[in-house]
Amino acid sequence: MTEQADLDLRPKLIGARIKRTEDPRLLTGLGNFVDDRQVAGVLHVAFRRSDHAHARIGPIDTAAAQAAPGVTAVFTAADFEKTVKPLRATSRMKGYYATPIRPLAHDKVRYVGEPIAGIIAESRYFAEDAAERIAIAFEPLPHVADPAEAAQRGASLLHEEAGTNVLVAREFKRGDVDAALAAAPVRVKARFRMRRRTPLALEPRACVAEYDRSRDALTFYSTTQVPGIIRDSIAEALDLPGHRIRVIAPDVGGAFGGKASLYPEEIFVCAAAHQLRRPVKWTSDRMEDFAATGQAFDEIIEAELGFDRDGRALALAADVVGDVGAYSIYPWTAALEPVQVVSFLPGPYRIEHYRGRVQAVATAKAPTGPYRGVGRPTATFVTERLMDMAAAHLGLDPKEIRLRNFVRAEDFPYRIGSGIQWDRSGFAECLTAACDRIDYAGLRQRQVQVRTAGKYFGIGIASYAELTGIGSRISVAPGMPINTGTETATVTVDSTGAVTAAFGIASHGQGLETTLAQVIAEHLGARLEDVRIVHGDSAAVAGGSGTYASRSMVLAGGAATLAATAVREKLVNAAAHLLETAPGDLVARDGRVTVAGTDRWVTFREVARAVYAEMGRLPHEARGELAASKTYDPVFGTTTSATHIAAVEIDPATLEIKIERFVVAEDCGRIVNPLIVDGQVHGGVAQGIGAALYEEIVYDVEGQLHTGSLVDYLVPSACEIPPLEVVHIESESPTTLGGFRGMGEGGTIGAPAAVANAVADALAPLGIEINELPVTPERLFRLLSAARK
Amino acid sequence: MKPVAFDYVLAESIDTTVAALAAAGGEAKILAGGQSLVPMLNFRLLRPAILVDINRIPDLAFIDERADHIAIGALTRHYRLETSPIIAEHFPVVAEAMRHVAHLAIRNRGTIGGSLSHADPAAELPMLALLLDATLHVVSPTGPRAIAAWDFFLGPLTVDLAADEMLTRVTIPKLPPVTGWSFVEVARRTGDFALAAVAVTLTLRDGLIGEARIAMTGIDETPKRADEAEALLAGRKLTADLIDAAIAAVRANVNPPTDLHASSDYRRHLIGVLTGRALADAWRRAGGEKP
Ligand SMILES: Cc1cc2nc3c(=O)[nH]c(=O)nc-3n(C[C@H](O)[C@H](O)[C@H](O)COP(=O)(O)OP(=O)(O)OC[C@H]3O[C@@H](n4cnc5c(N)ncnc54)[C@H](O)[C@@H]3O)c2cc1C
Repeated sequence: MTEQADLDLRPKLIGARIKRTEDPRLLTGLGNFVDDRQVAGVLHVAFRRSDHAHARIGPIDTAAAQAAPGVTAVFTAADFEKTVKPLRATSRMKGYYATPIRPLAHDKVRYVGEPIAGIIAESRYFAEDAAERIAIAFEPLPHVADPAEAAQRGASLLHEEAGTNVLVAREFKRGDVDAALAAAPVRVKARFRMRRRTPLALEPRACVAEYDRSRDALTFYSTTQVPGIIRDSIAEALDLPGHRIRVIAPDVGGAFGGKASLYPEEIFVCAAAHQLRRPVKWTSDRMEDFAATGQAFDEIIEAELGFDRDGRALALAADVVGDVGAYSIYPWTAALEPVQVVSFLPGPYRIEHYRGRVQAVATAKAPTGPYRGVGRPTATFVTERLMDMAAAHLGLDPKEIRLRNFVRAEDFPYRIGSGIQWDRSGFAECLTAACDRIDYAGLRQRQVQVRTAGKYFGIGIASYAELTGIGSRISVAPGMPINTGTETATVTVDSTGAVTAAFGIASHGQGLETTLAQVIAEHLGARLEDVRIVHGDSAAVAGGSGTYASRSMVLAGGAATLAATAVREKLVNAAAHLLETAPGDLVARDGRVTVAGTDRWVTFREVARAVYAEMGRLPHEARGELAASKTYDPVFGTTTSATHIAAVEIDPATLEIKIERFVVAEDCGRIVNPLIVDGQVHGGVAQGIGAALYEEIVYDVEGQLHTGSLVDYLVPSACEIPPLEVVHIESESPTTLGGFRGMGEGGTIGAPAAVANAVADALAPLGIEINELPVTPERLFRLLSAARK
Repeated sequence: MKPVAFDYVLAESIDTTVAALAAAGGEAKILAGGQSLVPMLNFRLLRPAILVDINRIPDLAFIDERADHIAIGALTRHYRLETSPIIAEHFPVVAEAMRHVAHLAIRNRGTIGGSLSHADPAAELPMLALLLDATLHVVSPTGPRAIAAWDFFLGPLTVDLAADEMLTRVTIPKLPPVTGWSFVEVARRTGDFALAAVAVTLTLRDGLIGEARIAMTGIDETPKRADEAEALLAGRKLTADLIDAAIAAVRANVNPPTDLHASSDYRRHLIGVLTGRALADAWRRAGGEKP
């Protein structure tokens, strides 16, 4: 039997429904989170945060705090003037202003919750008591809360050196939009609003810097998605070589983008530990999480889409104002979210003429940053609403108008007006599969019946495409100089035959310890349980950034494939000597190397002993280390697509919205583990439902935060999430190694649009459009009241 | 979110509790289930010098049936009210309402005494106390006192309790036979405080409404009885027109707050919708003719 034939016969690990191997640890309390770390002599941090949105900082009196019980030190910005270099999220974008990122507010505060002083004490209790004793003379400055006003000439400036509050403005253009729109016989247009939200991980941010006096070195444990990026940036801020800072992300309790940026608190904790030569820990509470973790969305979009009489889209024009908050978040920049909105607005459709203009406007609110889906939830909401509005106008079914406009199989690769290129993905296949699963025709019939009974029942479709697994030719954030396009895997079979695979990614709920082990075990011929995945550690590989942007399976999975294959060859070569046969006759599987078609084999352990320990068993040239380190770069990345369909019922009197059914059909290429893909879709959809119906960060006109706790900020619980049905489509294998497409974010991208369309559909007899999310009973009440007038 | 330092007293009895409260001169707080108090401590909204823990006081958690009333001890947990056969038999409206109070984990800790003393303007137990004409029994170092639920709720988080007084027991008169009931609520999510909720009992006499009671929460600074609507209903048969009149009366007499979750207008709208539904429900349960 040839090796290939044999490989095809055995059960595949890639594609298997394997339960997550990290779960027994996480579910039985054996996980190790940052706050679980017990460090002898550790000091605790509390921050005195700003209660002003925009003010000059006058004299700060810390004497009483310094003298308070249990306090070791109190730091203000002045204490870091010489020791910490401010960082800036640079970019090649024209006219972009990169705000400085410092550990503590310097001269001015620019949002409520910005840290001004850091108190280091024996316990968090002492630190909080002392924080109250700091007296700060604020000189209030004019409000900068409304992005439209802030963008005007003459507005009060948050960053005077920038000369404007518009941190960046961009335009994407193809064709002649104005002429095409003017000529379009059918046009739909609206002003859309996606409200600000917060990622709301179950585990708030935390970090502890452990100081090693013998080497003047820091080991920094942080709840981060990007240990590699944090290591590099702290090294820069403190001017230390990388081998004196190791950044470890142990078990991390969710992140959703909110832990993908460098935070002032992280710089502070490292700088304070370095200066005090003591271990220092900060665990944020939920109030701090609401006030100072990177927030998301917050865009106003004016968009117009023109069609011919057959419902073929001709031209799309959009103007986007992104309310990005006070700083340009590191390293992604303030452009990340709003620019992605205009990048993805054309969606999975053929639209010849496109113009998307965007402004990222600084306001005196917490900075916004990456959030699961980045830009695409908003873009999809806008485009999919416009599609439904056009369908209604043209008397077409929402399903039909999408089928008429999708990029067709023969059009791939297709470049949309913003410049993004789609490779072949199952756009139409996902729509059809989702409709089949939900019995779309049957639901439409039922809708007719229940409508006559006075009920509000609606069906909403949302189709989208996204770019995932982005390689080195495209930067994840516009113009960002940091390479996020490669990942490295180092696979080692040690002298006991055990397999360790080290990565630069940082799984924080995605189950990558399981899926990467599946890939390694499959390509190495190991047993799943013999593979240990090391991740979330800047020392694991020489360079790596982390887990974000639906990249880890594509990039790390590709690197795993390369490295595991290389190590298998080494194992087989060594085994060939032991078994006295040609390498071509051998297969590696289940932790053994076997002579194909026989029962003669050696275990990995025996091979490893022969290689590393037993003198003279192998010739010199077969004794190379059983290890390989490989880097994978998908160069461009690949397209992932999906269709979501929601069916909702609205109580006509109380206006409560209930999602009855929710179906997702998605194409993420080759599936490593269907159980994990389902879980990722479920979680993403739940967050998308949050964006559609519940979650909203509220600042008032003075920049005061009104959603400071989970009483005010509503996040859906299990009770609010309907059963979710997921259909997997594997259209055509993309060019990525292994055929994987990224899929971690998708659930959040489609769900807001699907729910918005369903609610609008339910209320269609009343002529109400849903152009603002979240759509709450209160907002419906106001829309209905206005419609009745 | 760490409380300021406080001393802790584990009370053995009602007497030691009120003695400790009196000795602290207004600086002490009773700790019952802690479900409302502890968040307020962590937010530093309250800074008591002493917490007096009443969780170990014997015989403070009970539901007893007497000849004409039910007596409930202050430390009785929400979950017991929800599942007690005595409550289910005499006040099914309470059992139903308790399912809307927070989540199971919180109902396992939260107490009736804590909920009534805390008096959140959107809580269920205060409205039920009003609905059922409950009497609240309190003890201070100078002796016991009984207060009608009617007089107890003074404002948001404000009740007629002195700093050295402890609520020990609630008594509720049994309802007459042929009483229908209903509890309906709208909250943003399962377990959230009500945007608006209505509890109704309708006691029928000769096929007509003998006594109507309507209690509401979430719609004012305190829970309220809908006096005007109750008066309209008395002595009548429930009809669609009467329901409309009751809804109008209710809407005209509430003063709902606006907050992040709902505007005053929407709450006013809701309270009408819920009143209509609750009346129809209670009428049906009492065996009245179809309105
Ligand atoms: C997430 C969440 C959701 C919730 N949702 C709801 C809801 O939907 N509806 C609802 O009604 N409640 C809700 N609650 C509140 C819950 O019902 C509390 O249990 C209740 O409000 C307080 O009861 P407790 O026993 O926990 O009191 P504690 O928190 O211990 O005390 C509350 C206050 O009452 C005082 N006190 C307590 N006992 C006495 C006594 N015997 N005499 C005098 N003073 C006393 C305390 O000093 C304190 O000031 C919710 C709570 C949480 C955390």
